[in-house]
Amino acid sequence: MNLLPDFNLLRANSIDEAVAALSQEGVLPIAGGTDLLPNLRRGLGEPKLLVDLSQLGGLSKIEPTADGGLRIGALVSLEALAESPLTPDAVKQAALGVAGPTHRAQGTLGGNLCQDTRCVFYNQSDWWREGNEFCLKYRGSKCHVVTKSDRCYATYHGDVAPALMVLNASAEIVGPDGQRTLLLADLFKESGAEHLTLKHGEILTNVVIPTHAGWQAAYEKARVREAIEFPLAGVAVALKKDGGKIAGLRVAITGANSAPLMVPTGDLIGMEWNQESSEILGKAVRKVSNVLKSTVTGPKYRRRMLLKLAQHLVDKLWLECASAG
Amino acid sequence: MNALIPQNGKIGARTPLIDGVEKVTGKAKYTADLAHVGALAGRILRSTRAHARILSIDVSKALALPGVVTVATGADTPVPFGVLPIAENEYPLARDKVRYRGDPVAAVAAIDEKTAAAALKLIKIDYEDLPAYYDPKKAMAAGAVPLHDDKANNVLREVHNEFGNVEDGFAKADLVRSKTYKFAEVNHVHIEPNASLAEYDPDRGYLTLHTTTQVPYYVHLKVAQCLQMDTSRIRVVKPFLGGGFGARTETLSFEIIAALLAVKAEGKVRVLQTREEAFISHRGRPAAEITMKLGMTKDGKITACHEEVIQPGGAYAGYGIITILYTGALLHGIYDLPAIKHDAWRVYTNTPPCGAMRGHGTVDARAAFEDLMTLMGEELGLDPFQVRQANLIPSIPYTTMLAQRVMSYGLPECLEKVKKASGWDERRGKMPKGRGLGMGCAHFVSGTSTPKHWTGEPHATVNLKVDFDGGLTIFTGAADIGQGSSTMAAQVVAEVLGVDIKRISVIAADSALTPKDNGSYSSRVTFMVGNAALDAATQLRQKLAEAAARKLEARPEDIENHDEHFMVAGSQDKGLSFGDVVKEAMVNSGTITVKGTFACPKEFMGDKAIRGSAIGATMGFCYSAQVVEAEVDEITGRVKPIKVWVAVDVGRALNPLAVEGQIQGGVWMGMGQALSEETRFEDGRMLHANLIDYRVPTMQDSPDIEVIIVESIDPNGPFGAKEASEGMLAGFLPAVMNAVYEAVGVRADQFPLTPDRMADYLEAKEAQQ
Repeated sequence: MNLLPDFNLLRANSIDEAVAALSQEGVLPIAGGTDLLPNLRRGLGEPKLLVDLSQLGGLSKIEPTADGGLRIGALVSLEALAESPLTPDAVKQAALGVAGPTHRAQGTLGGNLCQDTRCVFYNQSDWWREGNEFCLKYRGSKCHVVTKSDRCYATYHGDVAPALMVLNASAEIVGPDGQRTLLLADLFKESGAEHLTLKHGEILTNVVIPTHAGWQAAYEKARVREAIEFPLAGVAVALKKDGGKIAGLRVAITGANSAPLMVPTGDLIGMEWNQESSEILGKAVRKVSNVLKSTVTGPKYRRRMLLKLAQHLVDKLWLECASAG
Repeated sequence: MNALIPQNGKIGARTPLIDGVEKVTGKAKYTADLAHVGALAGRILRSTRAHARILSIDVSKALALPGVVTVATGADTPVPFGVLPIAENEYPLARDKVRYRGDPVAAVAAIDEKTAAAALKLIKIDYEDLPAYYDPKKAMAAGAVPLHDDKANNVLREVHNEFGNVEDGFAKADLVRSKTYKFAEVNHVHIEPNASLAEYDPDRGYLTLHTTTQVPYYVHLKVAQCLQMDTSRIRVVKPFLGGGFGARTETLSFEIIAALLAVKAEGKVRVLQTREEAFISHRGRPAAEITMKLGMTKDGKITACHEEVIQPGGAYAGYGIITILYTGALLHGIYDLPAIKHDAWRVYTNTPPCGAMRGHGTVDARAAFEDLMTLMGEELGLDPFQVRQANLIPSIPYTTMLAQRVMSYGLPECLEKVKKASGWDERRGKMPKGRGLGMGCAHFVSGTSTPKHWTGEPHATVNLKVDFDGGLTIFTGAADIGQGSSTMAAQVVAEVLGVDIKRISVIAADSALTPKDNGSYSSRVTFMVGNAALDAATQLRQKLAEAAARKLEARPEDIENHDEHFMVAGSQDKGLSFGDVVKEAMVNSGTITVKGTFACPKEFMGDKAIRGSAIGATMGFCYSAQVVEAEVDEITGRVKPIKVWVAVDVGRALNPLAVEGQIQGGVWMGMGQALSEETRFEDGRMLHANLIDYRVPTMQDSPDIEVIIVESIDPNGPFGAKEASEGMLAGFLPAVMNAVYEAVGVRADQFPLTPDRMADYLEAKEAQQ
């Protein structure tokens, strides 16, 4: 039996209370717990206090904003997100792709976005990791993925982040210094051991999707099974077409690097979608992605899937844009 | 002998499992649910080295930790164990050497889990590393350090058998082809993790062990052996069990350790294992590299078969000798083959020990054979069904070259029915792009005729009691592991006595109460325990008929029984109620207990003159044919099964509801092995020890499985029944391999056909064009 470590639990009644508690050392937030609790059972972390955010008021709503966008509370469950008629298709697809139905009922949007990075050398029992001299991400001094590295290469495997990123979503954050808003893409940084840009004591409260009229977006992931799996590679694409030309294109990838990343697509604007532009997109994806042996499925397949899914999604949206007029 | 014909409607009726409601409502108590007031927490310290000498173990700090009651090491376990009496080389706790990462080295019993876990961290072990081998060819290479001193080349068993003249057979063939296949190692993934609750009474010197096992009898023997206790001072109970699939047919170290800790602590100890520890205990199907060579005439008749197998089996012998023999033993018995050669090597490697898993040893060999058979048929312009039909056993009874006797053979009917149901003739070769149909056959034994611990006892014994209350109690050692054996025994008794099944209680798998049973393995229970239950019920019926005859003033042979009544045949009088007959029968005798047995006749035990014929010896084979329709996603490489049609000859379906469930489960497990499941190691380090990375199919991945039951009525099975849960697993593998070929033109040669492997195949095919 794997026990949870001993910790205290504070059920925060207000955002201020949560932020105050989280500003101490050795404290972690918990909402749905679907990511945190299995990790704690494996000895990945020994927090002295967990701050339960699940009862915070006002963060479980999905509501239209005045300017035609959408504000989604961080405590909205993935199930609710997938089922809401307000949710854009790409985000629905991503939310539905997470784990299984019970995880989606329990897991929250905020938790999904902020989920820990993963690695075959990290998501193992304490006995296993100890026998492998631990690793750079936790308690060790060596990365087993890139052995001579001085940084951790654990991979970000969230499904929902890239779908929101291609819709240009932003993150509302509350912390000891008050509220700030940043592009969702900037919530992340490429470091496996510390992949969030949240400052000490800060929590993600809402995600805001601006109006995206004229854009078509979609998300797909490579996986072995139809449920349960984290993306071996995941790609979100948003496309805006003007006549026969690409007027706007945003591509984001997950399951590849230590953060979900936007793929620069500036060179493609104004081009037609054809063999040449497809190859340019492929090159751009290759340039941004850095797929390593952090999952049981080898990097070769995951690299190939990033390219194929990106190209396939643009193919698909290109046709959909046409039929949408 | 002719199979009994059921008269009372209990056999052949779709009967919900008698313990099903308890399970689905959560009332059923599994080992971890048992009351454990006052139990200490037992934990196992496992080796972090793949192959190393143990130089020293220092447990002093752990023992000094407040709350620790006892610590055990290999010094407490001088006697090795193993499921085969000829290859017992595993110690409950390692002595001198560790042979894989996870090998148990020490164990602690403490007042709670947290203290036990802390104590493990205080145990210091000095190791001297030895070279470790994960690839069987490296383990076998000259100069490799042996894992076990008695096998210098690390080969546990080398097999070379030839039946008929293979060289001649190939010479006579119009087409000879050979193909090498690679099969990944797979695990059972029984959903209930391993657990034991052990209680030692120091005054009586008596140990009671509740544990998650398929074979309480083996646990009983091995605990006594390793703890050097008298078997009469041990009671083994199997509570509700969440699956087994072969993983629990061997006694495992955790249950011996639980017993040891209880004895040392002179009290109660509970050992709850994690999923990772289930993967460490393993006993799954080994990886295999199989080279299959067949000769075929123009009309599809096979003239010779030569199979070579290399099987890395992990660090201990376990069932290994039987597994490797089974890779050849069931080349026999499904088709009429004139010549078979079998060369095989079971090799020690520094990984968790492999063992028996559904379709034990036969699955990969069958998959390779069936795939090659289809390929060669296609090369000769023959439909896969036609090739099978060309090789059917010509007449029944039939004796194989391995001295197996085939008394019933429903394969021809399985082929016809599955072909029709799947629309094979109309659809095969005309599927839309990316979609295909494939087929494969398989078979399996209905219990091994030659149990590994030969005692001269009957193969099965069932006690049946009727008492003043009119209640019937079946006492059987057979372990119901979810397959429904208790329900099966109740149905058999209800059928013979013509009573409502609710009149019957089944007490199973408790050595203090139930007669010994050889255990739930090799699909033996329905055939053997079913026959023993039939014998017991027949004896009791005779006693009751005699009592009814006295009361009704008739001859016992004129007494009929049905619908809970005994009456004179042909009479208009409705006769006596079951309760009244029992009361009459108990006059002067009191409570009635009868003992039914089943012993397998010698002629079904192989031929001593034929080497290896004890393996694969059985009284009846289950046969199956299946068609798989699958789709391949050319972007992601994912193979998606759309529908499976499977026809299985189960002799007679005693309980069609349970039989369908077992067949679907068997097909489904084959699908897991074929498409997604595999263990993964990096430098001998297990990467897959959880249910995210070890990919058991989910409901979303599960196609509709249409089951067609074929009843060949075996002359020796209870009411004609044979096994119904293993003989359909292997067929999925070659069937999906064929379907993939029709879908995308890829000839695969390895399993599982995961998206990454498929993507490699598709890329290679593109590069060729």
